[in-house]
Amino acid sequence: MALLWDTSLLLRKVKDLRCLTPRRHRVKEKWAATRPKLPPTRLAVHHFDATYSTQLGQLWPSVRLAMLSERKYGALLNNFSHNAVLAELKAQGCIDFISEREREVPSCLEEKSEEPSDVSMKSSDVDGEQLSLSPNIKCLVFPRGDVTRFKPARPDKNSLLGYYLMDAASLLPCLALDVQEGHSVLDLCAAPGGKTLALLQTQAIRFLCINDSSVSRTLRLRKVLHSYVPKQLLTNENLRITSFDGTKWGEIESNTFDRVLVDVPCTTDRHSLMEDDNNIFSKSRTGERRRLPQLQLELLLAGIQAACPGGEILYSTCTLSQNQNLSVVEQAIYQAREKDGIHLQVVDLRPLTRMFGNTFHFAPDLHLGEMVIPHLAANFGPIYMCKLKRLT
Amino acid sequence: MGTRVAVNQVLRLAVRNATISTLCPRQFGRYYLQSRWCCSSTNQATQHNQDLNPPSGIPVTELSLRSFIDMGFTESQAEQIYESLANVRRGDSAKHILPTLTALFVLGLNPSSVKKCLEKCPELYTIKEAQLQQRISNLRKMGLVEGSLQRVVAHYPRILTVPLKRVKNVVMFLKEKCLFTSQQVTDIIRDCPAVVLENLDQLEYKFQYVYFRMGVKQAEMVKCRLFRYSLDEVRCRHTFLERRGLYETPDKKGQTTIINPSLDSILNVDQDTFLAHVAQASAEEYDVFKRLAAREWQEEELQQGRTEPDSDDEDDDEDVDDDDDIEAKSGYGKRRKK
Ligand SMILES: C[S@@+](CC[C@H](N)C(=O)[O-])C[C@H]1O[C@@H](n2cnc3c(N)ncnc32)[C@H](O)[C@@H]1O
Repeated sequence: MALLWDTSLLLRKVKDLRCLTPRRHRVKEKWAATRPKLPPTRLAVHHFDATYSTQLGQLWPSVRLAMLSERKYGALLNNFSHNAVLAELKAQGCIDFISEREREVPSCLEEKSEEPSDVSMKSSDVDGEQLSLSPNIKCLVFPRGDVTRFKPARPDKNSLLGYYLMDAASLLPCLALDVQEGHSVLDLCAAPGGKTLALLQTQAIRFLCINDSSVSRTLRLRKVLHSYVPKQLLTNENLRITSFDGTKWGEIESNTFDRVLVDVPCTTDRHSLMEDDNNIFSKSRTGERRRLPQLQLELLLAGIQAACPGGEILYSTCTLSQNQNLSVVEQAIYQAREKDGIHLQVVDLRPLTRMFGNTFHFAPDLHLGEMVIPHLAANFGPIYMCKLKRLT
Repeated sequence: MGTRVAVNQVLRLAVRNATISTLCPRQFGRYYLQSRWCCSSTNQATQHNQDLNPPSGIPVTELSLRSFIDMGFTESQAEQIYESLANVRRGDSAKHILPTLTALFVLGLNPSSVKKCLEKCPELYTIKEAQLQQRISNLRKMGLVEGSLQRVVAHYPRILTVPLKRVKNVVMFLKEKCLFTSQQVTDIIRDCPAVVLENLDQLEYKFQYVYFRMGVKQAEMVKCRLFRYSLDEVRCRHTFLERRGLYETPDKKGQTTIINPSLDSILNVDQDTFLAHVAQASAEEYDVFKRLAAREWQEEELQQGRTEPDSDDEDDDEDVDDDDDIEAKSGYGKRRKK
């Protein structure tokens, strides 16, 4: 008898589960009818299935799975905050993926297999030149396969937050930009400001130009900066925040900056797969989406013009799309030479992929630039980046 | 000893005990005492003392170790049954043990299966005879033929502890809500008897999940013994495949652009085979996925419990985040606003 009581008790208890079962799953009619016919997220999946399965081949199912699952974040440490977050996060099991690289992928092995004799476009950079990473950029992540989440950052006594949560792979473009003491830097499409904040952490920049064409997003960027950077560092002498159309930058201020970050708007693949709100695959934004590669090209060209001769430009996106990545860079290199007479050299980023091969999955065999591809155990990216150096 | 002999033995014992108990209590007492002598219990001395003066409440149908051996149990089996009986005895009496054993032997189970049943489900010791008979005959009426019935009981003895009404409810539910045919329902009970104790709402959800999300029809569900698997097992493998692009929900006409793997190949294989041949993925990926999925579903349920969806669709067109970064302050809310 005891058993039967147990059962009925149990049944009564789980009865309430009904209100927990997702509403749309409860009754048949609902199940079939709730979703609109083809929400933008579905359109995005279809689009990606068509293009990325050919582009990535056998890797696509893994990348797809990762992008449709919860992403991982990194905590960009705020050096301006007085909270002891570094020790705190390390105690939770986090590692600073930038300084605590376990062991680099041995470069000799890779070199042997990939560089037989001829000098490709990629290895045109001075041989053996290592990337100098700013020691001030620290980013904590939970180890591979660990899906623990970060808690929201807390303000310190000056109400500056201890860390900024962002895709850890987004830091690679900042690291690759290789900002040096005294540089003047342009961040052409900066909002909401994650990469800007990382650049400011280096404390090496003489003057930082922060721009984003969207006024509301620029406002958000200002808020971010004020939550992370002390007021005395946010003066007109140090930086300038604008909301111009970046494509016109070459006309405003050409041959000026030592470093230019061109982090363009793109199909934001992850967002497009996960959120129907504000989705670039919604029918009403088809035109805008089709025009993206052209806009990206114009932004990159503007960035190239804004850099000084000898300066370096870093182009980055958070899409896997070849049309928005390699093709844009190829076009830009061509047009810069043809139209503006600017000669560019592609900077080899393989030192970077070697350094961080333990933290990120990089797409193999890209003939131009490098790309972090998402993988469930290291669910960062996608991030594409390509670095150019102005020779003239 | 063959089952038939065992049955005879049990029956004889039942009759004899009944007679003895009514006619001559003292004689029974001696019988009881005597049998305890045979018991190879470790603390004989203390037990012996107790046994000399059995408390008055002691059931009249006491069975000795010997009598279990006579039924065909091996000595060690008999001892184990005897001991577990002693444990059960405390609450209700073990007066139902004899009818239960009878019923199980009559069904055709051999002593070692009977012992396993009792082990898996000690509640059997305390079931009333009439209920037991009712439940067995109900299973027969549902179309569980000889052979199947035995297998069900041997595999899932708990089914005999489930009230008739509950079983009937589940059968009704499977027929009316899920549109299984009578024969399919019989097959379900035969292959997945535990279904009779499942929460009906969860059962409905599982059915709908497989029917609508996976586009699998009733016949295939039965063939693949769907109800042996928990909802989480099913949707974990399915969602994994779906996110990899290897499984598609059929459209209204039942069409898909890819060929979905069969339910059988998804469920009725071990994890390694599933990963190697169906999902073509690494164990590392699946391991992480399982943890993520569990968390996702848990949060989904919490969320559904807290707020009703479909009502928060005001659009804030300008100030939205469509890139890869979020502010630390905003935390992990799925919908980021303002
Ligand atoms: C990928 S987001 C930049 C993310 C930012 N770099 C960060 O790390 O937080 C792209 C940005 O480009 C801006 N944008 C779009 N068109 C632009 C244009 N013509 N000129 C300048 N910025 C533009 C968008 O408003 C958007 O904020």
